[in-house]
Amino acid sequence: MTNCVKRLLPLALAAALAGCAMQATDSNATRYQVALVAKSKDSEFWNDVFTGAEAAATEYNMQLTIAAPNSEEDYEEQDRMIEKAVEDGAQAIVFSAIDYEKNAAAIDAAAAAGVTIIGIDSAVDSAHVAAYIGADNYGAGQMAARSALDGMDGQLYVGLINYEVNGANGRDREQGARDAFADSGRAEVVAAMPTHSNAVSARSEALSMLREHPEINVLVAFNEATSVGAARAVQQMQRADDLWLVAFDSNIETIDALQTGVVDALIVQNTYGMGYFGVESAYELLAGQGSSVEESTVTTTHIITRDNMFAMDKQKALFPFG
Amino acid sequence: MKRPPRTAPLAAALISAVAVAVLTLCTTLFLRSYRSAVVEAARTNSAQAVSQVVGTVGNYVSTMDSAVSIVMERLDDDTARRDAFLNAFLTARPEVAAITAYDADGQLLDCWAQEGRKPKDAILRNLSFDLTTARRLGHGYISTPHVESIFEGYYPWVVSVIRIVPEGDTARCWLSVDLSFKELAATISNVGIGQHGYCYLMDERGNMVYHPQQQLLYAGLKKEEAGRLACLGDGTYVEDTVIYSVQRVPGSPWRVVGVSYIDETVNESFWQMARIAVATAVLILFAALIVGWVLSRSLSRPLQQLENAMEQFEQDADHFAFQSVRGTREVQNLSDSFGHMVGRIQRLMTTVREEEVVLRKTELKALQAQINPHFLYNTLDSIAWMCERSKNADAVQMVHALARLFRISISRGHELIPIEKELQHAEAYLQIQKYRYKNQFTYHFTVDESCLHCLCNKITLQPIIENAIVHGLDLMVDSGHIEITVKPDGDDILLIVADDGIGMEPEQVAALLQNEPSDRTGIGVKNVNDRLRIYFGAAYGISIVSAPYEGTTVTIRTPRVPEDREGDYDKLR
Repeated sequence: MTNCVKRLLPLALAAALAGCAMQATDSNATRYQVALVAKSKDSEFWNDVFTGAEAAATEYNMQLTIAAPNSEEDYEEQDRMIEKAVEDGAQAIVFSAIDYEKNAAAIDAAAAAGVTIIGIDSAVDSAHVAAYIGADNYGAGQMAARSALDGMDGQLYVGLINYEVNGANGRDREQGARDAFADSGRAEVVAAMPTHSNAVSARSEALSMLREHPEINVLVAFNEATSVGAARAVQQMQRADDLWLVAFDSNIETIDALQTGVVDALIVQNTYGMGYFGVESAYELLAGQGSSVEESTVTTTHIITRDNMFAMDKQKALFPFG
Repeated sequence: MKRPPRTAPLAAALISAVAVAVLTLCTTLFLRSYRSAVVEAARTNSAQAVSQVVGTVGNYVSTMDSAVSIVMERLDDDTARRDAFLNAFLTARPEVAAITAYDADGQLLDCWAQEGRKPKDAILRNLSFDLTTARRLGHGYISTPHVESIFEGYYPWVVSVIRIVPEGDTARCWLSVDLSFKELAATISNVGIGQHGYCYLMDERGNMVYHPQQQLLYAGLKKEEAGRLACLGDGTYVEDTVIYSVQRVPGSPWRVVGVSYIDETVNESFWQMARIAVATAVLILFAALIVGWVLSRSLSRPLQQLENAMEQFEQDADHFAFQSVRGTREVQNLSDSFGHMVGRIQRLMTTVREEEVVLRKTELKALQAQINPHFLYNTLDSIAWMCERSKNADAVQMVHALARLFRISISRGHELIPIEKELQHAEAYLQIQKYRYKNQFTYHFTVDESCLHCLCNKITLQPIIENAIVHGLDLMVDSGHIEITVKPDGDDILLIVADDGIGMEPEQVAALLQNEPSDRTGIGVKNVNDRLRIYFGAAYGISIVSAPYEGTTVTIRTPRVPEDREGDYDKLR
């Protein structure tokens, strides 16, 4: 061994030792912090998402915080929540965007701060989303249209009640429904009404739509709040028997209406799965098991009717714990 | 032949090898025992968590049983008292969602519910009572968790306890008490085992009763081994990396299953341990290198120096000067011993050489003391012959020459004599021989005056001249000539005896310098040469140039030794 090597070797060994010591301290950080920023707090849809997220957080021993704005239109509040989550030291943010485009800046900023971003339910226009878990909204829209086509004979006159036109979900669902109706050749979309995502405004929009277009015999409402509003309108107009109402997401009111026949089909997403897989993906990405995380995961969508609503698996989809 | 390795690298390698082996062994053993300890801890942990859940579920079941018993007791009371009691009971027990009674055909007869709740007129499907199951099982059953489906806008998750109503009441055949499942579900969902574990509830046949991720099971995204576990008794089972803990809930058909994983915790510990092991190994290697270095400095290097010193000593013992080697005590002892040994050997060598020289000189002196008896006899015979012929003057001259010869030969015991005396001695010998050989040869001296008072070994010229006469001139028909020259040559003096006799063959020349004269006693040419070398060193001595029939020239090289420096060379005497 030459002298040079003899002298350098202790230095190299010291460096190796230091490396080992540092690695050892790294592995001690076990409990990850994850923030879930949702679109709304009050709906059963989101409660079920939270249940799933909490289940995953318990299973993977993570610290989960949940935040959502009061209004489902307030993307700025969401941005503030993202910033706060980053400040509070969240290592991952599970996020559902109110606005596909306007939320992007805040998400990019969070990603730049080293936070892992997982999208659920509603996508956001950012390249920094490590994984996305959501339903196939276009497919769900098609599913809604097909249930009407299967359940009704003859010419269909369709009314659409949509929400948050800036959100990717509603847009995709509506497009799916429109395409499926157009493909059938016996359906015509006679009215499409964008509305705020709350039951009251949806009800009034639906009422005015039904009054304006009495020929409408198929009504599709694209989320929980608009569905409740539409169901109330159909109930009020006493059109339960001759009108096929397709609603989205489970709500006590729509479930009641499903049993009475006001609502004829309910498109239910695996909301629990979104929450669960969102947090699980966060864990896997943080724990360095990123290879097992799909870039995009499609959660299942169920169609629920009067006949199958109390089957065991549908009960779970319809009636969340909590 | 393969050379054995050096000590320091060998020691370092040995230390490293032993340390790494021990470390590997320890790490392996530790990890094995650690893994089993971790698995044991995880088992215990799992069993404890499951016990807790069993306790909670057991409480829940006993609550159900007590509720059913209480309701059952009051069922036969008169309507007003019964309703009052049951309403009070429901207010006190908000977890009871509904109490329903059915006739033998499964028709709903009565329903007592929390305040403000009334069953719907048209119930799509009543999940609280299943006539087929009730009839099959006879006395009653506990349902799986389901949604309460008889109310409008109120769909709590409940578990129904169905009991057959004892004989006596004609209409009511079955009683169902729906108990909220939400809290229990939350309890089960919130039980985490270890890093990544959970609990679920199954019935005796392995059907899922409640699972925190039931939606995932329905969606086929998750699978459980409930069917297989149902065949096993209560206990904790470790399978590969999964720990299953199964326990029966007393008083119910349910069993709690805890699922947890050992791989992550154990693997994490494994890697941590491996890191520590590697770090330790590196440290030990480091230490071994230091030990090697220290050994090298304190042992190997001094030993190497010592080794080099010994090699030098081996090659040139005379001029070796030993410098002691620094190092550990053993090395210093070794060095000191070697130093003593070197000194002693050198002293012994000197002594031996001195003794040898003394011995040789003694020998040579004994030879010098001898007079060639032939020479003496012949000379005396010649003198007697001269006296008989009355050549008195010649006889006197011969006797004088003989006397001079002997005086110089003795020269008071001195080995070194002035060249002048040596020349007189040579001339006396030549005079005697000239008479004896009847003027068969002539001789002449050419002497540089500056050399006369320098010293030379005595009886140096005489043996050479004798050789010239005996081997060179005696056999000649014509008269020969001997030329004796003394001249300085740098710091040396050359004594040259040249004859024009018959000369010698090279073999004869060589024999002359190598062999003592065997045919007679006295001092030979070799003797002269040896004496010169012993006294003055290898640079001095005799060189012979001879060609057959042309003559021989013998050159004696001796250092210029002034008279007052005799002691320098004669000290060994």
